[in-house]
Amino acid sequence: MASRTIQVEIKRQSTPDHSSVTEKFEVPYRPNMNITSLLGEIALNPTTVDGKATTPITYDSNCLEEICGSCAMLINGKARMACSALVDKLEQPIKLAPLSKFPVVRDLAVDRSVLFENLKKVKAWVPIDGTYDLGSGPRQFPQLQEELYPLSNCISCTICMEVCPQFNDATGFVGAATIAQVKLFNDNPTGRVLKEERLRALAGDGGIQECGYAQNCVAACPKQLPLTEAISDVGRDVVIQQVKDFFVR
Amino acid sequence: MATAAPPAPTKIRGVQPLRAGVGHSFFWRRLHSLSGIVPIGAFLIEHIVSNYETMNGPLAYAQQVKFLNALPLVRVLEWGLIFIPLAFHALYGVFIAFRGRVNVDVYPWAGNYAYVMQRVTGLIAFAYIIQHIWRQRFAGVSLPENPAMAFHKVQVELANPWMLAIYVIAMIATTWHFAYGIWLFAAKWGITPGDRARRRSGYVCTAFGAALCVMGLLSIYAVAFKPEYRNAPIPNMSSQPAGVVEPAPTSVTPGTTNPTQPGEVR
Repeated sequence: MASRTIQVEIKRQSTPDHSSVTEKFEVPYRPNMNITSLLGEIALNPTTVDGKATTPITYDSNCLEEICGSCAMLINGKARMACSALVDKLEQPIKLAPLSKFPVVRDLAVDRSVLFENLKKVKAWVPIDGTYDLGSGPRQFPQLQEELYPLSNCISCTICMEVCPQFNDATGFVGAATIAQVKLFNDNPTGRVLKEERLRALAGDGGIQECGYAQNCVAACPKQLPLTEAISDVGRDVVIQQVKDFFVR
Repeated sequence: MATAAPPAPTKIRGVQPLRAGVGHSFFWRRLHSLSGIVPIGAFLIEHIVSNYETMNGPLAYAQQVKFLNALPLVRVLEWGLIFIPLAFHALYGVFIAFRGRVNVDVYPWAGNYAYVMQRVTGLIAFAYIIQHIWRQRFAGVSLPENPAMAFHKVQVELANPWMLAIYVIAMIATTWHFAYGIWLFAAKWGITPGDRARRRSGYVCTAFGAALCVMGLLSIYAVAFKPEYRNAPIPNMSSQPAGVVEPAPTSVTPGTTNPTQPGEVR
């Protein structure tokens, strides 16, 4: 039986300022591999298909089970999680590249701190810090929990931003993930106290208005967040807040 | 004790974070969205419904044109509710269109195609409307003063097969842009947040856009092809005679050419 192999082409870049090169690898076939195990296989023997010794592929990873959001990359051109992309279902040669809209740190690792900055801008948290015990929070009805739980599944992988035609240097769009978190924390009985601030933040330049409703975010989201629904709901709240501010503030 | 210098603010590479509290793009972008529905969309409906009078021939169409131009403050309405909002919607729309980074080649999904089509149809409509306003409203015979010429003016325009093709393409593009624009408006303003609500609104907008488009295409057919209106004569529309004073004469003056308007003597 001829030994099967997996062909891999990886776009690599040694530093943020270096130009990128593509290296080709050939990995012995095993059934049921994912991209994570494929990259691990390359790390065991980092030799290109031409026999040139190279370095292991750098990429962000942590949980290896699609719950941490680290390993998003372009797999055959599409933004996906490396851990949940199965080699047996991919066309070969498998082409790996870093996310295209974030500055490359090295190889497949990109700097996604813009999402963290955006979450800070909209205060995507429940404010409970204090100098004394605040006691238990307000009661949440199960109906509300069921509505909010899907939004709490966001893993900050930034795939919704990568696939969005409006998320780019020209618009500086905030992206679907942040808007979904605004809905999550605005509807939280305690987080609601910052609702107006969040809605005002989202009306700034690069805010929710830049959404073009191409709906790529919701189609690509690995955690099936109801992103378009969140954008719609928050969009209404931002308009109402702006009108209210115009007349009463 | 040496104090550590505060870290210099590092400029983030790549896409910049949200500029909370900065700028007025929210207002302009939402105004752009709203202006597409009211007044521009409302005008588009009026325009297509009025044009549908061509199905009843040159006289009916001329009467519709005359009626519209007899509206009070018609020039204020024309500039305030059509030209100025339309210019804003068009120019800001071009600005929006060229700030998107189309990726439909990588993500060939329905919503993504619709996103691209909204920009393409907008640009088609923009180019078409510039020539349409120039050639039909400002160049050639002035229809507000000569409503009887309306049918003939359009007929001459559509006699050119290239122009006919442009009108058909622009009619489809414009009604598509409007119908999808209504759907987008409902989605973005939070009227239809749910998946099912958005699907239903999609059906309604599709039906509405298709109806507008068919009405528009029938009007083009009536002017360009309907056999009974081929080489139709320019209808005789008596205009309000100059020098009419109150009280209007009640008896038919001798020599009048139009007994229904007793004051008119030519």
